[in-house]
Amino acid sequence: MSRRAETGTLAGQSGTPIEALQEAFRVLSGAGSLKDQSARFRSVVGDYFRGDEVRLLRRTAGEWESMGGGPEGTAGALPAPAAGAVGASALEGGSVRIVQRLADGSDVGVVLLRGGTGSPYTESDLITLRLFLTVFENAYREMIARRNEKDLIFSLNHRVLQLNSLIDTGIEVSKIAGSAPPHHLALERAASLTNASKGVLRVTRGGRTEEEGWFPHGGAPEGGAPGSGGISTAFDFGGETYTFQLFDKESRSGIIPFDETDQLLLDALSKQVHASLENLYLHQEALEKQKIEQDIAVAASIQQRILPKSLPIIEGYDIAGVNIPSKSVGGDYYDCIPLPDGRFALVIADVAGKGVPAALLVSSFHAYLTAYLEADLPLVELAKRLNRVMSRASTEDKFITGFFALLTPSSGELETLSAGHNPVFLRRTDGTLQELLLGGIPLGMIDMDFPYQSETVTIAKGERLLLYTDGIPEATDGRQRLYEEDFPLKDYVSGHVPARAETFIHELIADVKKFTGSAPQNDDITAVYLLKH
Amino acid sequence: MEQPFSLTSEVRDNCLIITTTGYVNNVGGEAIAAEFTRHFEKGTKQVVINLGQSKVVNSVGMSFLIEIIEQLQEADGKLVFTDLDAAVEKMLSIMGLFQYAGKEKTVADALVSLAGAGKAGR
Repeated sequence: MSRRAETGTLAGQSGTPIEALQEAFRVLSGAGSLKDQSARFRSVVGDYFRGDEVRLLRRTAGEWESMGGGPEGTAGALPAPAAGAVGASALEGGSVRIVQRLADGSDVGVVLLRGGTGSPYTESDLITLRLFLTVFENAYREMIARRNEKDLIFSLNHRVLQLNSLIDTGIEVSKIAGSAPPHHLALERAASLTNASKGVLRVTRGGRTEEEGWFPHGGAPEGGAPGSGGISTAFDFGGETYTFQLFDKESRSGIIPFDETDQLLLDALSKQVHASLENLYLHQEALEKQKIEQDIAVAASIQQRILPKSLPIIEGYDIAGVNIPSKSVGGDYYDCIPLPDGRFALVIADVAGKGVPAALLVSSFHAYLTAYLEADLPLVELAKRLNRVMSRASTEDKFITGFFALLTPSSGELETLSAGHNPVFLRRTDGTLQELLLGGIPLGMIDMDFPYQSETVTIAKGERLLLYTDGIPEATDGRQRLYEEDFPLKDYVSGHVPARAETFIHELIADVKKFTGSAPQNDDITAVYLLKH
Repeated sequence: MEQPFSLTSEVRDNCLIITTTGYVNNVGGEAIAAEFTRHFEKGTKQVVINLGQSKVVNSVGMSFLIEIIEQLQEADGKLVFTDLDAAVEKMLSIMGLFQYAGKEKTVADALVSLAGAGKAGR
């Protein structure tokens, strides 16, 4: 006998169906799945109807499927809802059969069966069972709402994760000394964020693959990349093409197509890698530049030690010199070296080229020159030897022009030799200029025993000697005009006769600078001026 | 690059320890869930998942982990993740997994934590 039969009414009494229905809703609402909910329903209804058999079926499309309590053939006796109706029911003596439409559009059918000895079901039992089924439907609707809410939260969290990961990946790939190559990290993240089951990165140059990396490692399918359904993006950098491809977007229901967001994510990560590679390149370039600047600073320091801080005092003479390198390290050289026998060696030299290589050659030149002067070699022999050693020390495009003079202060005798250098001007007291040109080929140009010649002149009181490098006559202004074109050096030397050598040098440089204005200095400027009192 | 997925498991002190290697995606998540279910149906309610060798997890893989957490919650069980890579830890955190699951540095730490929780629960 049913509880309905015991109580005789549906409401208003203790142990009524109302309480049973409330308890049923509580129990059914705790289910995590439809299968679980169905089992709970059968248990609750079975208990209420004192052990009557409860069969539950569901129809999503087509055939009914058992959800517990009896074979699928049970469905044959279920009433069919009328067109447009959400339910149908049938009451016979030993059974109650009800069909109810659920929130997801599927139908659920319940069959309540009583054994042969029990009293027949009544209309009230039919109503009670229908109420239980309504509770089932409500609990199912709530379960779907909970699931939808959970899916929504999961989806929102996933979007947050994608954005967060995009930012984090941007930071990680831009790290100069990152643990993994930026393109590998980006591929991993792209696959993960788009739920791709695999991905590949290819770096190609001129159609040839330079690098290929699969995610996960060893993920390359046999016979090449998966055929369809993938997404890809690419960029060019340093003559290479970086291509990212993702395949097989996963879901709990199988492989699904990638969507627009997936493509946006892949593009964004690819752009981050591109930016990172460019930054890395610029960083390395900056480091190299810094290293070169350091090397230049060291070379400049060495060269500054080679060039004289001050020139020696020569009794009866006044001497001054200047060197203004066009870069931080120059290729010009000058000196005035006292010799053990009381003479002085005046030297000016100019290496073809500038920068560190030129400075290195100047350094070698200085070392050999000093050694040969100490050995008291005749000027011609000194030039020969310097030519030989400089040929060996320099590359084909590097050579040195130089002017050497040995001054005997007491007599004013000056033996000179020009190794392919600019003519040195000797201004006589009458204002005429004598060009000292005799010598030979530049040093280090050809390692052959070319002859050198020297000449000897005498400097009289009031006479002056200017040694210079081509940085002076070839100084250019903003319109690339040469100083020599407007102000021939000969005229300057002839026309300027200050009382002090230092003044001559100062005024000459000022004149050149006035001519060049703000135009950059293209070549080293070096000069030595000797005046006999 | 991340390795293909594989896992090993052992039961220590009535606690299931699953150690994974490689990409925790659909395949990986399914494998973890299957291993969990096999032991859960025998009554194991304390689970440690060592993700130390899994540096990449996707959301499909995470959905399996969430289901494990939910099943354990209903059964008054507990899941603890260990050896998490920083990126994976952040992912699980954003997806809300640590609201209902623990995390420890090592498996040994997790076992101590679960043992403590078990005593407190008694």
